Amino acid sequence: MTADHPASIEATGLVREFKKGPRAVDGIDLHVAPGEIFGFLGPNGAGKSTTVHMLTTLLPPTAGTALVAGYDVVRQGPDVRRAIGAALQEAALDPFLTGREHMRLQTALHGLPPDVRIARTTELLERVGLEDAADRKVGSYSGGMKRRLDLALALVHSPRILFLDEPTTGLDIQSRTALWDEVSRLAREDGVTVFLTTQYLEEADVLADRVGIIDHGRIVAEGTPAALKGEIGRPTVEIVPCAATDREAVADVLGRFGERAGASPKGVAVRLAGGEGQLADVVRALDAEHIPLEHVQLHAPSLDDVFLAKTGRTLEGAGDDEEAVGQVTGETETVAA
Amino acid sequence: MSRASFTSVARAVAWRSIHSYLTNPAFLIPSMIFPLFFFMAFAGGLSSISQVPNFDFPTGYTAFQFVFVLLQSAAFGGVFTGFGIAVDFENGFSRRLLLAAPNRGGIVVGYAIAALVRALVTWVMLVVVALISGMNIDGNGIDLFGLFGLALIVNVAATLWAAGVAMRIRSIQGGPLMQIPVFLVLFLSPVYVPLKLLTGWIHGVASVNPATALLEAGRGFIAGDPAVVVVAFAAALGLVALFALWARGGLRRAEASP
Repeated sequence: MTADHPASIEATGLVREFKKGPRAVDGIDLHVAPGEIFGFLGPNGAGKSTTVHMLTTLLPPTAGTALVAGYDVVRQGPDVRRAIGAALQEAALDPFLTGREHMRLQTALHGLPPDVRIARTTELLERVGLEDAADRKVGSYSGGMKRRLDLALALVHSPRILFLDEPTTGLDIQSRTALWDEVSRLAREDGVTVFLTTQYLEEADVLADRVGIIDHGRIVAEGTPAALKGEIGRPTVEIVPCAATDREAVADVLGRFGERAGASPKGVAVRLAGGEGQLADVVRALDAEHIPLEHVQLHAPSLDDVFLAKTGRTLEGAGDDEEAVGQVTGETETVAA
Repeated sequence: MSRASFTSVARAVAWRSIHSYLTNPAFLIPSMIFPLFFFMAFAGGLSSISQVPNFDFPTGYTAFQFVFVLLQSAAFGGVFTGFGIAVDFENGFSRRLLLAAPNRGGIVVGYAIAALVRALVTWVMLVVVALISGMNIDGNGIDLFGLFGLALIVNVAATLWAAGVAMRIRSIQGGPLMQIPVFLVLFLSPVYVPLKLLTGWIHGVASVNPATALLEAGRGFIAGDPAVVVVAFAAALGLVALFALWARGGLRRAEASP
């Protein structure tokens, strides 16, 4: 393989074992196409970061092979490093340097000519919204600012492939959505291949063209978010009538739209045979029967459902995070009648 | 696409280390104060040692101690650079360097360049203070070139030693392991009196200690009477070669570690 090979990631049987420990990565296969955003989803300790470290040449694999930008991560490490940018889980910044000085260091590390360095620094600091804070020492930056600077640093040499290891962990909603926008723009406009690890379901859902779900070092599911969710089943709608005596009537109406599903004690739920588009029909049908409603809730299958189906458990520790992110993406729609 | 090269990485790493050193009083002041303190304490407080019988160093005790403090600051400048490398590994900054560097040997060279600059800054202060305190220099320009050349090689050797330790342990907890051997080697040499005045086990140890040749050659340079020059340079360059392998092994270890 040579540099002419299109930007992509290809791994076969990738393994990483640590001394006196289990296999952190246990024989994974990956194929990431050029310009694709690949979401690597899994709970803490699943093997996401170890995989990124192997693909970015920070850690040699115990077994298996991986090509990044067409170069072997073991034998052609320098070529891999020239082609990639990476923002790792903990932003590696020097608290005694300013943002601009970090950019100067990074552009110098990558051998950019002096005149290009200044222009690139200005462009990227502006793009990540740090132009006003550029001359402040990084020790005074917030977590979000550090993440944004880290992203800018990863982009100084216009890499073909960008690795982002849990880039939004600990960020507030605004910072998170701003970073999502920038990552999307990089892929759509600049054609950058993005390998993104996350434990946020919605992050993978919103950003990724394809998702790989990793658990205990193995990939348990892979595909587009829609296809993965489609494998799990159709959305459910749950209706809670104002009067408990109306439950039977609600059940009769809902019965026209799909099979019964589990619901709260006061409610009735069905799996919509025709998908989410039937929600309006359901509401209209109930209205036609003059049944007053207290609560209507549509639950679309999520990647957590996919994870649950594949592993028998929900994403560890993701509950709190989902709550925050869910407000943005509206995975579950609730209507108070 | 990155245009990173060995040179660009070495220069960038050196720039960052020198910049941090020169702009942070917490880094700059101790590296200045300690050599000056040792110099004042040894050359001033112990100057009557030069009155002992058979102490034969006409250039004076200040110059006699200046050479020791110069080589000591060279060695400890390298050790302090090792501390910086360890901290970079501890807080993850080294990953930024490892990710950007096609040839990672450039990282070590960059740290070594920074260590040399730090040593030069310290030596300027040390020379100024020594001259103000009345130090004699009987050697000519070539002798002084030899003296400072020797000190530079010692600085490189110490940096490579400390870098090797730092990249193996990747934590500032490795600090004592970088420092103590250097301290022992330096102080098990003829620090306060010439080798011929040492007696007992310390004489035996000092006789085989490579630091003794470095000190004697340095004192010969400042006195204008060069001695054991070939042995001293061979010892210093041998240490550089040895510790270069040691540092390379440390880098390989760091590259293979999570």
